[in-house]
Amino acid sequence: MADQKNSKPLMTGFMLSTQLMEVDGCNRCQECMKWCPTFAVRPDRPGITPMYKNARWRELMAKSHSLRAKIFGAKPLNDDEMKVFTEDTYSCTTCGVCGTVCEAGIRTVELWEAMRPNLVARGDGPVGKQNMFPKLVKADRNPYMAKQEDRLCWVPKDVKVQESGEIVYFAGCTAAYRQQALGVATVRILDSLGVPFAMLGKDEWCCASAMVRTGQRDVMAEHAVHNVDALKDAGAKKVLFACAGCLRNAAVDWPLWYEGYIPYETMPLSVFLRDAIRKGEINYKIPLNYAVTYHDPCHNGRHLMHLKGKDWSFESPRDCVQSIPGIKFRDMVRNRALQRCCGAGGGVKAGIPDLALDCAKARVRDGEEVSAEVIASTCPFCRRNIMDGRNDAKSGIKVLDVVELMAASMGLDMTIPENPYTKFQEQDVLVCGPAECKLDTVERKAPGKDEVGEAH
Amino acid sequence: MAFYTLGLTFNLVILLTVIILAVWIYGIYFNFKKWGLGSTGYHDQLRNSFWLFLATWVHEAFKDGLWVFLRTVVLDVLLLRRTLARSPVRWVMHMSMFYGFLALAAMSGFALFLDIIEHFNLAGLAHEAEMVKEMLGLPFDVFGYLLLIGATIAVSRRILLKFVRDNTTAYDAFLIGAVFLITITGFYAEWMRGNSFLIGNLFEYPVYAPHFALIHTVLAIGLFALVLPWSKYIHVIATPMTLIANRGGE
Repeated sequence: MADQKNSKPLMTGFMLSTQLMEVDGCNRCQECMKWCPTFAVRPDRPGITPMYKNARWRELMAKSHSLRAKIFGAKPLNDDEMKVFTEDTYSCTTCGVCGTVCEAGIRTVELWEAMRPNLVARGDGPVGKQNMFPKLVKADRNPYMAKQEDRLCWVPKDVKVQESGEIVYFAGCTAAYRQQALGVATVRILDSLGVPFAMLGKDEWCCASAMVRTGQRDVMAEHAVHNVDALKDAGAKKVLFACAGCLRNAAVDWPLWYEGYIPYETMPLSVFLRDAIRKGEINYKIPLNYAVTYHDPCHNGRHLMHLKGKDWSFESPRDCVQSIPGIKFRDMVRNRALQRCCGAGGGVKAGIPDLALDCAKARVRDGEEVSAEVIASTCPFCRRNIMDGRNDAKSGIKVLDVVELMAASMGLDMTIPENPYTKFQEQDVLVCGPAECKLDTVERKAPGKDEVGEAH
Repeated sequence: MAFYTLGLTFNLVILLTVIILAVWIYGIYFNFKKWGLGSTGYHDQLRNSFWLFLATWVHEAFKDGLWVFLRTVVLDVLLLRRTLARSPVRWVMHMSMFYGFLALAAMSGFALFLDIIEHFNLAGLAHEAEMVKEMLGLPFDVFGYLLLIGATIAVSRRILLKFVRDNTTAYDAFLIGAVFLITITGFYAEWMRGNSFLIGNLFEYPVYAPHFALIHTVLAIGLFALVLPWSKYIHVIATPMTLIANRGGE
């Protein structure tokens, strides 16, 4: 029966009043159910789909705020129903495909992200290991229990990184500590183009995406304000991101927490590189004779397409991949705004890892359907999860970042300098000779101290 | 469609209409106040206010200017662009029901207004009001058939398509069943009067026509005032408001 905690009504304060209206705006057309990536792998749980979540929220709210409740008094919420609703709400990767297809125009990503803090404040959420995010990030300013002083430990000595400048590369925690091949490829390309760029080093704090996604907003404010101030202090006019999660947070979430003027533009690295390709500044040397498909990260695609435009979100990374000689590019059936989420987002990878894994396997199957040898992406988290799905499905498909494909084809030295995190590296890589590159996988040599895995 | 039977008089109908409208308006107020339980901005405190909900909605609706507001109203609310993008069949269904229902509701209100003119012979226009009412017969039939087409598609989808059927709840069945029933009883009441559009005298039975008209009216009013604002069918109001507030979700 209801205990003291559950006698509290459903909290609504983190939702905009227009979002409460949106819940009632769901006309139950079922379109979201056809596209939901988690329902696709959990067809026995319709409760995780947007249509049912809205219906459930309405029912729970009605216990305190319906006409019946006004006349006869509120009904308490009980443990079981709140537990089920919380699990359902957190079994969502916040990929936003439901919002893309919603006939009622409901902004579902914002809606789910507004529902979750209410559950956290009431003591129902988050789920699984998600509650580790704020503790880890507050303690170390990154989720990997790594030292801030080591933020740039992977940067090759011959690459010139400035302390300040108009162009700043915001690497993100994963490229700095777990997928350093991405970081090395990025700085190598920028260096080869002669672009003077700065990095924040120990002043770069976690973007705090995982906290916003899981409704744990407390640490977010501190990190958003710090990062914006650090970028301003560095004199940034253009901030480049090779991590879709960081980009999304910097473009959408940080400004919500920062009260002052933000003088810089946030830009996906693929857009910057495409401009260089168009200007003829990229010089490819080695053809990559692979069939490559592109997985649109939700955070770089659907989440930003209304803000940055579909060309930036969907076409620029494809243009980069297709510019590489030798590559046979083929899109998966579900692509661009209707793409299938990899399953890692919304804290699902940390909170409900088996669900994330099943979603990733579905995405790997999408890649296999078009006979791709490589799934390219622009998000380290998608990459991590799709690799996990690939391993679990025992598929031969490789998963790489678009930047790494470009750097390999440009014949750049992709060697990662030895550093304290070398043993934690686990990623597919391209090993290149003078005339050709071969796909390989680097195995992790130590279990690492990852408390929550990699999730955004 | 006359329904003055079983002791129902003109004055009683007017009184019931006022009560029903009051219930409906209170229902809308009640929902707006419930939505006001949310905040007015990302960091704002809880306000719990009917007026601040309205202010938030107006702010969201006009955030990108009047042109975007008007474009959203036309493309997304009136033409259901997002539905068309996903399913042409569902678009035909929604458009038929939306415009059928809206036109019939508006014409019913207008007919009641004409009834009042006729009853009190306001400005000596009783005869003219009666003539206009006669002229409304054809549009009533046309929009009635439009609603019938939409309701038939809706019921058929729920029965014939397995995925849709499997995820149909009692709520869905009740709403669509009620709309279908209201439409059918309306038609049947009209057909019983004889000399009907398309049907002629096939179902003529004028003695019971007012009874069926009364059943139709009670069902329609019951759904409109006593069910719609107090249940999830409030989406009839909330969906267009959501589309406008979110600029069509685009």
